[in-house]
Amino acid sequence: MMKRKWIGFTILMSILMLAACSNETATTPEGDEPINVVATTTMIADLVENIGGEYVAVTGLMGPGIDPHTYQPSASDVYTMDEADMIVYNGLHLESQFIEMFEQFESRGVPTTVIADGMPSSAYKTVGGEGSTEYDPHIWFSVNNWINASEYVAEQLAEYDPEHADDYEANAQAYIEELSALADYIETRIEEVPESSRYLVTAHDAFQYFGEEFNFEVVGLQGVNTQTEAGTGDISGLADFIANQKISAVFVESSVSSRNIEALIEAVNSRGQELSNAGELYSDALGDEAHDTETYIKMYRSNIDTIVDALNGSQDNKH
Amino acid sequence: MSIITEITLIAVVVSIACALPGVFLVLRGTTMVSDAITHTVLLGIVIAFFVTRDLNSPLLLVGATLTGVFTVWAIEALQRTKLLGDDAAIGVVFPLFFSVAIILITRYTGDIHLDQDTVLMGELAFAPFRRLTIFGVDVGARAFVTMLVILFINAGFIGLFYKELKVTTFDAAFAAAIGFSPALIYYGLMTLVSLTAVGAYDSVGSILVVGFMVGPGLTAYLLTHELKKMIGLAVLFASINSIIGVRLAFALDSSIAGMIAVVTGTVCLIAFLFSPKKGLIKNTLTRRREREAFDRKINEIN
Repeated sequence: MMKRKWIGFTILMSILMLAACSNETATTPEGDEPINVVATTTMIADLVENIGGEYVAVTGLMGPGIDPHTYQPSASDVYTMDEADMIVYNGLHLESQFIEMFEQFESRGVPTTVIADGMPSSAYKTVGGEGSTEYDPHIWFSVNNWINASEYVAEQLAEYDPEHADDYEANAQAYIEELSALADYIETRIEEVPESSRYLVTAHDAFQYFGEEFNFEVVGLQGVNTQTEAGTGDISGLADFIANQKISAVFVESSVSSRNIEALIEAVNSRGQELSNAGELYSDALGDEAHDTETYIKMYRSNIDTIVDALNGSQDNKH
Repeated sequence: MSIITEITLIAVVVSIACALPGVFLVLRGTTMVSDAITHTVLLGIVIAFFVTRDLNSPLLLVGATLTGVFTVWAIEALQRTKLLGDDAAIGVVFPLFFSVAIILITRYTGDIHLDQDTVLMGELAFAPFRRLTIFGVDVGARAFVTMLVILFINAGFIGLFYKELKVTTFDAAFAAAIGFSPALIYYGLMTLVSLTAVGAYDSVGSILVVGFMVGPGLTAYLLTHELKKMIGLAVLFASINSIIGVRLAFALDSSIAGMIAVVTGTVCLIAFLFSPKKGLIKNTLTRRREREAFDRKINEIN
């Protein structure tokens, strides 16, 4: 009995000592300090930086190349969240494991912006066939959606910090012009691909929004969730489809393993259709400066160049 | 209270809550039951989702706990037949339940974000931000409060049934002979294991559930032969591992859960090597000394 009491006592003391030596109370300075905005994905961090400019300090929780579905926070993310003045996240279950926490922040007075709220719900695409109420979270691949999101972020920032409302609005307008230029670039480049070849085959269905906006048939091997394995039926059905449509290029994604795509390539080749892996597309995260893909606009241009160059080249080979 | 202290407190409470039933898992050689539970809960979540069609429903958590209980009961029932080994029983039940869940997901909910993490959102790093409010009053981090309750339930069960647990763990036949049912005690214990595993999963994430349940109990087992001391040591190591793990994680800016798991494993390995009673080094030395003594005896005879 004595021994157990001593053990309990030791534990209590060590906890108390720990509490005593770590009383670094965080102060949240007001005034000229930039607004600490926590963004979940790299796309959202880029968006908020563009709209907020010098008045915000944006920290992205998920770094470049990280799949939001499998993100693991590190110790410094704890401070990031603790010091957040405002939280911006995608919504539509992209960050499903943290939504409850974000909602709690909101109820404690930390304003929370859901990017998906910045567009009409008619803009959402559903997944899982008819009658499904689950929405596809990859809304950023519609440039139109991202234009709406820009305006929404400007509104939300202005609400938090009315003093600089005009700046946010001006930044948003400037950024929307850049986004429109991006949409023009995408459309012009896609013109290079004959309509019959406009098929985008990737590892998981991240590009539905892109497909609808720019008239591309998008076929994914996996469901939306990168954690579900592709079934064998998915692969052989898709291989038949690719062989029938004479599709010559498929793409891998920066945040998803390329193993299933390799299995697909083998299956298609065995059906007598040449299929090549045309390179990496950015889906759930932006790239880095070394690849010149660290912003949303650069990322999208890189994706379009990869897609068009692959499908274009393959067309030339056929002649 | 600073944020590190709060995370440390949560880690300590969760680890002690897990270590208590963990001691008995170690003694019975069924530690991997905890690993099985963190996987089979998916089945409960999927089935509850089919009923509610809502990813945010609290029923999903209830479903998870019930499958956890069902898992340990099924494993226990298989083990009691004595037709297959303890680990084989886990090996049969866990993949079966887990794969049924995966099949249901791919067949019927292919495109929905449905996995354990959607429902059991445990992440130690963010645990202080998930508060529990009762009647508008913030009573503390949810993980801390729920796991404190589970800790008391576990401690209460072990305190009340200490003698029964001891006898049934070490000599089930004798326990049956003197009149109490080992089955009842085991099912009770296993239900607590399931409740603790799901609670801990929802508070700190899946890596730590297994680490917390197995690590401290195993370390204590290597250091003592007495059940009481073993429980005390398991509680002590659970706390120390958590405190060091959280500190290290902040010093190195890494995953907190991952770091605690590393510390837990390292401490266990140290006990395995250096334990004065059962350690590898002590064992090797004793064996060598005995061999030398034996050789000497042989030489003397010759």
